[in-house]
Amino acid sequence: MTATAAPVNGLVPAVSEAARRAQRSARIRGIVIAALGLIAFGLASGSMTTDVTFKFWLQQQGKAFAQVDTSPGELWILAGIATGVTGIWQLWRGAAVRWRLWLVLWLPFWVIAIMGHLLVGQTAVLTNLFSSSLEYAFPISMGAFAAMICERSGMFDIAVEGQMLVGACAASIAGSMALQWLGPDAGTIAGPIVGPTVAALSGMAIGLLMAWLAIRYHVDQIISGTVVNFGALGLTNFMYLRVLQTYTDYNTPPTIEKIQIPLLADVPVLGPIFFQGTPYMYIGWIVMVVLTYFIFRTRWGLRLRASGEYPQAAATVGINVIAIRYRAMLLAGAIAGFAGSYLSLHSAGSFQMNMSAGKGWIAIAAMIFGAWNPIGAFGAALVFGFADAAQQLLSITGVDIPPQFLASVPYIMTVIVVAGVVGRVRGPAMAGQPYEQG
Amino acid sequence: MSSLARLRPLAIPALAVLSAFIVGSVFLIFTDIPALQVLFAGRPVDFLTTAFGNVVHAYVALLTGAFGDPPRFAEAIQQGTPQAWATAVRPLSETLVAATPLIFTGLAIAVSFRSGVFNIGGDGQFVLGALGATATALLLRGFPAPITLLASLVAGIVFGAAWGFIPGFLKARTGAHEVITTIMLNYVALQIVQLALRTDFMRPPKGSEPISQVIDFVRVPALLPLPGLRLHWGFVVALIVAAMVSYFLFRTTKGFELRSAGLNLTAARYAGMSAGGSIILAMVVSGALAGLGGAFQVLGTVTQMSNDIDAGYGWTAIALSLLGGNRPSGVIIAAILFGALNNGGHEMQIETAIPLDLLVFIQALVIMFVAAPDLVRQIYRLRPKSAEPGAPASEGAAA
Repeated sequence: MTATAAPVNGLVPAVSEAARRAQRSARIRGIVIAALGLIAFGLASGSMTTDVTFKFWLQQQGKAFAQVDTSPGELWILAGIATGVTGIWQLWRGAAVRWRLWLVLWLPFWVIAIMGHLLVGQTAVLTNLFSSSLEYAFPISMGAFAAMICERSGMFDIAVEGQMLVGACAASIAGSMALQWLGPDAGTIAGPIVGPTVAALSGMAIGLLMAWLAIRYHVDQIISGTVVNFGALGLTNFMYLRVLQTYTDYNTPPTIEKIQIPLLADVPVLGPIFFQGTPYMYIGWIVMVVLTYFIFRTRWGLRLRASGEYPQAAATVGINVIAIRYRAMLLAGAIAGFAGSYLSLHSAGSFQMNMSAGKGWIAIAAMIFGAWNPIGAFGAALVFGFADAAQQLLSITGVDIPPQFLASVPYIMTVIVVAGVVGRVRGPAMAGQPYEQG
Repeated sequence: MSSLARLRPLAIPALAVLSAFIVGSVFLIFTDIPALQVLFAGRPVDFLTTAFGNVVHAYVALLTGAFGDPPRFAEAIQQGTPQAWATAVRPLSETLVAATPLIFTGLAIAVSFRSGVFNIGGDGQFVLGALGATATALLLRGFPAPITLLASLVAGIVFGAAWGFIPGFLKARTGAHEVITTIMLNYVALQIVQLALRTDFMRPPKGSEPISQVIDFVRVPALLPLPGLRLHWGFVVALIVAAMVSYFLFRTTKGFELRSAGLNLTAARYAGMSAGGSIILAMVVSGALAGLGGAFQVLGTVTQMSNDIDAGYGWTAIALSLLGGNRPSGVIIAAILFGALNNGGHEMQIETAIPLDLLVFIQALVIMFVAAPDLVRQIYRLRPKSAEPGAPASEGAAA
């Protein structure tokens, strides 16, 4: 490990110093978390009187299934207890605490308390909120998987945004053409298959182009990624304005409908959240599980990680680093393009200009937040998806805070995460570094 | 060295632009639905003539829109009235107007690239510079115009520099990758602008659109004494600033440190230079340049702050900085070229209904070809660069 660190840092840091630094940042983290707990108690004392109603909703019967009446004060006390306990635990155990897992304990309380605070006196249908969080999380998590595969192989993929955008455009056109040529009956069945397939293929084409530029012509991968993002925006806008806007037949694909999983969909509360989504949602879970297994438990995954961490060493044991990187870029392109098809085939039912609207970048942030791990990335995507869903809920219920404030929360969160204020994570060592086959 | 050999460094950029336009025309032909319908009707010859005719028509409109119509110039020389001259010169003037913000953002990106920092946040720094300039102008409305103008320009610099400082500081202190942070800060900057445009301080009375009051009371003076031309002194300032940046980068110690950090951060650190300091300085200078560009855009060209003041200048700047070899002189030439593309593109859009976005795609292709010089050499069967003696220096021979 030190051999890979040496050319980057210049000096190999002493182990004791690294440990001391970890201890210090853990202590700071503990103080911050404990202080947040105190703040929560302070907020609780200020709002013990007002009421808020939360309502769990069972969708099939169209009425409330379970309803919890509570007040912001109570919610803040709960948040304060959870946060305070975590903070003290962190202070006591220092760097030994796996703070990422502990986030799950105290952060949700904060989120619920803040929402309770904002939604005073109103009804929040949490079932809808959670199910739409899952839906919004899909493109983000898939984009994160795509970027992760690339970075694990030693490539730098900042073109997720562009791949998604092209995927969305291609899926809409392909789906519409299938509908046109096969007629309404066969087309409605074929469209949802043809659209995402073509989207995945177009993503692969872009991935291939980027890999080719980076490996064959040594183009800096940040530049080639910028080219793709920039070019994808120009190309899809051009396609929309020149073709799709006038010839709307090419931009009316059959949409992908929600599927109710038999039996499971009828389970109260959990059914509407987890088992009544679009096929995309289920595919997202499958990809997460499969990727986790393949990256960490198979020979392919080991080789992938080896070529990202130390390509020279990988090459010495006979691994074809170049081929692995090409394949990783192709797979990532397919996933990102497929994720893009969600944007145009899901609820919108057409392609619109700049549809991805920064989701590819959020996806990269989710990958970093999730520490280059599929399950972690999925969790981070859920957080971002929840932020989206909560924003919608708040704007529907007419809460009086500027929408711009909420809209910028994911971006600010990403900056904080990337800056490692909440703890440093390490990505593949050689991501983005060109590799010469010797 | 013969004069032809002297032009060699220009071969790759020129061929890159040419190739990008060729690829662009392929896309134009294959999205020409009426022409394609002719092809499917079984008349390939008609298809070819129509489609190629349309492409030629589009590119001619682009050129005349960018540089002016020769008959108009002849008319102007005959008549000699200011009105006729203004009509003739307008396309050229508009090209330079379009190039002005691009020079500033291009210089911003060039400084950051030279220092080994990828500042993708030109957009955010640009809009915040414009916002700072607008706010200052509104705040100092009663003061004499020159003072207000100067203060607004300084505010633009400060706002842009501050927005560049954040990712620079984070990179230096925590190693946060500036590509991610600057992108995120771009989105945050846009939200800040939207928020600011809703305040009564910025909004015109009874206005509901997200657009600020007109601040033409501090307008940057026009450069040409002809009626209706928007070209202002901001363009000249851009040229001066380019010279200053060139001096800073290539003639001062700080500039040398920045470039050393850009070439090899480890070596620079071993030589006793402060790596973190270089990163922060590079980002601050870069942000300040972009912010000044935003200030001139709002004070000279549009006189009104709005959501869409930034037409992707930060992104285009990356393209033209690479095209110009990350040199100030190259940036100026590339910015004028891209200004011509954008300005001519408007004319093309009006005349042929071909969307302006085609040019965004073409610009992306230009970066791709410039970033992969070996690809261009292979396509056009050029001799590889290593065959030339003293090849590494030839990149810097132009300025």
